[in-house]
Amino acid sequence: MNHTNPPLPRHDWADDEDLDETVQELPPPQKITNKDGSTTVIEYRYNDAGQKVKTTRRIRLITHKEVVNPRVAERKSWSKFGMSGKDPVGPAHDTTSVGENIIFRPSTNWRKDAKNEDADPNAVAMKDKLKDKKVKCRICNGEHFTARCPYKDTMAPIGEAGAAGDVAAGLPDEKGSYVPPALRGGPGGAGAGERMGGAGGKYGERDDLATLRVTNVSEMAEENELREMFERFGRVTRVFLAKDRDTGLAKGFAFISFADREDAVKACNKMDGWGFKHLILRVEFAKKAA
Amino acid sequence: MRPILLSGHERALTQVKYNADGDLIFSTAKDQQICVWYAHNGERLGTYHGHQGAIWTVDVEPTSTLIASGSADNTIKLWDLKSGKCLKTWEFPTAVKRVEFNEDGTKLLGVTEKRMGHLGTIVVLDIKVDVDAEQSDEKAMTIVCDESKATVAGWSYLSKYIIAGHEDGSVSQYDAKTGDQLVNYNIHELGQPITDLQWAPDRSYFITASKDKTAKLITARDLEVLKTYTADTPMNSATITVKKDFVILGGGQAAMDVTRTSARQGKFEARFYHKIFEEEVGRVRGHFGPLNTVAADPTGKSYCSGGEDGYVRVHHFDKGYFDFMYEVERERMNRLNQEEQQRQQKEQKENKK
Repeated sequence: MNHTNPPLPRHDWADDEDLDETVQELPPPQKITNKDGSTTVIEYRYNDAGQKVKTTRRIRLITHKEVVNPRVAERKSWSKFGMSGKDPVGPAHDTTSVGENIIFRPSTNWRKDAKNEDADPNAVAMKDKLKDKKVKCRICNGEHFTARCPYKDTMAPIGEAGAAGDVAAGLPDEKGSYVPPALRGGPGGAGAGERMGGAGGKYGERDDLATLRVTNVSEMAEENELREMFERFGRVTRVFLAKDRDTGLAKGFAFISFADREDAVKACNKMDGWGFKHLILRVEFAKKAA
Repeated sequence: MRPILLSGHERALTQVKYNADGDLIFSTAKDQQICVWYAHNGERLGTYHGHQGAIWTVDVEPTSTLIASGSADNTIKLWDLKSGKCLKTWEFPTAVKRVEFNEDGTKLLGVTEKRMGHLGTIVVLDIKVDVDAEQSDEKAMTIVCDESKATVAGWSYLSKYIIAGHEDGSVSQYDAKTGDQLVNYNIHELGQPITDLQWAPDRSYFITASKDKTAKLITARDLEVLKTYTADTPMNSATITVKKDFVILGGGQAAMDVTRTSARQGKFEARFYHKIFEEEVGRVRGHFGPLNTVAADPTGKSYCSGGEDGYVRVHHFDKGYFDFMYEVERERMNRLNQEEQQRQQKEQKENKK
């Protein structure tokens, strides 16, 4: 029987029965003219899964009149030439494509807007991930892993001095079983892990007794400004202002080392609560000995 | 806004240009054809074949009958815009870096490169704006730039002056009739070449872009610097928009350094500055390499940029762009509207009397 109807190319004899069914079931498309001048078009089709799909479209035709430059209009009817000579009317796919949408709103404070947008893809995803977990850097108390700390090369972890002794003392009690680094400190140095070089390493000798930790520092702060402020109390041996690697803005905390602990105490008392660039500084001793 | 990407070139773009009605875009690249596109949908109308080297520059004659192009094969070619036929070829000892028609299209200037013992020159050719006419072989005038070669040049209002930007950052003004140099000022940082020179619609002032990371708005009559737009990266191109008081700057890290940086650090964005307040108001990103050339639509509806990445991106502005106003601009507009209303009310009263 399939030999009798060759004009239907897709009519495979194997699908014969199925096709007959589907063809019969499809209602004819409808066109309804509404009162408000729009037209409703209802069409039926089968999707890839064989389900019947009804598509209802409401179409309103609006005639939009535009006055165009006659020269421009004439040029639109020109025939193509050169490499486009054989292209059909309309944009060719190989030379013309549409890019992704760009939101462009001129604004006087666009820099701020752009920054918020930039923060979205990576930082926000990371924050979501870590929302429930409390990650605390042992070096700067920031919300990242100690290994990821940008200051791990310059700063000693907080509570390092007490930890090294406990590691040695704590290990034999565990009867040789593996203790994860985070737990090795025992109750005294909770959270402090083993570190390359240990307490006697590069940073072990630094006199942390005279180091102040300054927090709530303005983004705009500069190291020399801090140095000037703190030099009033005595000789400052080191000023470290944490800065963002990409933006160069201060991250909001700094360490100031004094040559003399007494000066540091004086500075701590005087500068705690000091107003600096619209923010009130919080000054305390760096928590190494804790 | 959704940019239209035009990928008719295989190599870095060198110049994009709108015709006077803003419906056609011409693009040249370091490959050997010129493309012409419809600005409204990005459809390619055609290509112009005949150059044997990288094409540095293109310009459209004001009535959109002819186009001229300058190439590294040491020629300027004149083309029939509609058919793509080459009408005339002028040969020069060195590459041609810039061509520009004057306001009525009867003169064409070309900037030739300094190379192989030849000094950089600006040549002027007489053009007959007719596809069938025989174009003259003779150069109407030649200006030799013996101090620093010209990189860009253009015709001022009424074809009174020829303004040229030089490799050393200076701008000079020549009498367009005699070819005498009238003045030469060091406007951009010394030793930083001027990369682009584009005119305001009335050609009374122009904008220059330079590798010294600035663009400047300069008057044609006495080369007075009106405005300076400062960026943080070398600029390759700058253009002035109509309808809104903006200038668009394009640039980015030099192409040879690009592989070392990410797209974001490379600063491959078109920068919009307010023309009067000199303040940056926004950026449009999208190119994967530095922007070699930007052009603004003479009708103010769109702009396009050509990049080192081989793409032309055509951007049709949307409502947010046209709505943007500074507070002072808005106040001024409101005041003018109020005055207008009051005047109308007065007139109505008088009419009643």
